[in-house]
Amino acid sequence: MDYVGRLTAHLPEAVRLLLVKADGSLSIHADDRAYKPLMWMSPPCTTRFGDEVWTVTNKGGEELVVTVHEILSDVSHDLGSDPGLVKDGVEKQLQELLADQCHVLGEGFTLVQREYFTDIGPVDLLCKDAGGAHVLVEIKRHAEIDSVEQLTRYLQRVSTVLGDVQGVLAAQSFKPQAKVLAADRGITCVLVDYDALRGLESNRPTLF
Amino acid sequence: MELRVERDALADAVVWTARSLPARPPMQVLLGLLLEAGEGGLSVSGFDYEVSSQITVDVTTAESGRVLVPGRLLADIVRSLPAQPVDLRLEGTRVVLTCGAARFTLPTLPVEDYPALPAMPTTAGSLESDVFGAAVAQVALAAGKDDTLPVLTGVRIEIEGEQLTLAATDRYRLAVRTLPWRPEHADLSATALVPARTLADTAKALTSGPEVLLALSTGGAGEGMIGFEGGGRRTTSRLLEGEFPKYRSLLPNESSAIAEVSTAPLVEAAKRVALVAARNAPVRLSFSADGVVLEAGGQDDAQASERLECGWEGEPMSIAFNPQYLLDGLGAVDSDTTTLSFTGPTRPAVLTGKRHQPGDVADYRYLLMPVRLSG
Repeated sequence: MDYVGRLTAHLPEAVRLLLVKADGSLSIHADDRAYKPLMWMSPPCTTRFGDEVWTVTNKGGEELVVTVHEILSDVSHDLGSDPGLVKDGVEKQLQELLADQCHVLGEGFTLVQREYFTDIGPVDLLCKDAGGAHVLVEIKRHAEIDSVEQLTRYLQRVSTVLGDVQGVLAAQSFKPQAKVLAADRGITCVLVDYDALRGLESNRPTLF
Repeated sequence: MELRVERDALADAVVWTARSLPARPPMQVLLGLLLEAGEGGLSVSGFDYEVSSQITVDVTTAESGRVLVPGRLLADIVRSLPAQPVDLRLEGTRVVLTCGAARFTLPTLPVEDYPALPAMPTTAGSLESDVFGAAVAQVALAAGKDDTLPVLTGVRIEIEGEQLTLAATDRYRLAVRTLPWRPEHADLSATALVPARTLADTAKALTSGPEVLLALSTGGAGEGMIGFEGGGRRTTSRLLEGEFPKYRSLLPNESSAIAEVSTAPLVEAAKRVALVAARNAPVRLSFSADGVVLEAGGQDDAQASERLECGWEGEPMSIAFNPQYLLDGLGAVDSDTTTLSFTGPTRPAVLTGKRHQPGDVADYRYLLMPVRLSG
């Protein structure tokens, strides 16, 4: 394998894993490491597959030349469309769980709507408390001062439509500043236990 | 301000007060230590709006005054000074510190912006500092370490006349200590929830004097404050809010089985056996008339077991604990012989010291929740 471009590099003959992706990129892996190929050519690039020589060329005219001695295995798969990496899956699931179990947020709470739409963005939950008054619920994994600001904005916005609304910030953990600011603005903080909501019992029994 | 002070006394004072200085304070002045020289000596104070510490040391004062100096820097300097008297002098806006041939010039912070330290609340009573220090250490270890449930990061102090009760729990174990003390008023009844870390640090530091004065503010909700004073040191701390779990109902009144084990061999055996227990994996204890067998490890992993002599009243029983929590309890019991009382393999066990008479209520109880035995 030879790379000819801004620098010149050579990989000696050996058994390699070659990945040709749908965007035309090629990467050459050894039997170690999780992410960094030995050599690669990023897209956009074009590959000419010869009988023994593959040549990958990019826009800048740099070339990756692969000399194929033997093909041990040749497979191709269509991976379809990528749903994307979901990092806030827990937050989404918390929203679903809390929508089903509103009573966790406050005595006698009932759900009005999930993802209640406002013109500055959707509010996680719109509930009614035991007395029938509206309550906006913002759900976070970790509540920070910004979460309080966000809920405050929603409260201001929604109060022009629904009148008096209460705010509840539900999270698995709270930054102390977030608690102070929330208390200052009359927002209730509710600590939620993700495992308990999912009905998972901890493997570590507690005294109470 | 101008004064001369012994190096060790200054180091002790500065290092202790600097310890509680905030890393990222809301106000720049809180990074400072307040030095006040007067007839009573030199007082050094630090404050972070939660906890205040103040210590007074003997000095030869030539000129009284107040100055605010960067706390951590001063602590680092004083710690490394040679064993010679230290001279401190304010020159304009800078403090000059000389010790032997070493000389430091420090900038000062605006002392007029420094907040007033909270006043010491009303004295509630007193007790020997070493007794208090030991009792706090026994209890504070059971307090929660993370802030998910802030109430559990505190030690509950209950005052009922001449009896002081300390309690802490992280839901996996509960430590309760009762001890006599000398209240100001015989009918005093009060409770407070003090951050466990602050309480443990303070109680340890105050063992330098013979006695500790405990002070509680009787103000309304949210303004709770506790103060400790002894050996020239005083600390105030804001109290935690919230309701402490009703722990008394957790303490079992009866037991179906009782083991009496020599503490030191059990501690050593538990430490040895726990070596093969993976993180959070339990140590199993099987009690019978033949003694106790400690085991850890799994079928496919490393395994360990050890047999110990032990007194046993009851049916043979197996129970499993988190090894660290078990060791914490055995260490805190502070007795040659540990008594373990059980009501069942899934019910909390109570660790106490040597029983003098059956039915005695121990002054220290460590309630430990067992872990489920798998398989």
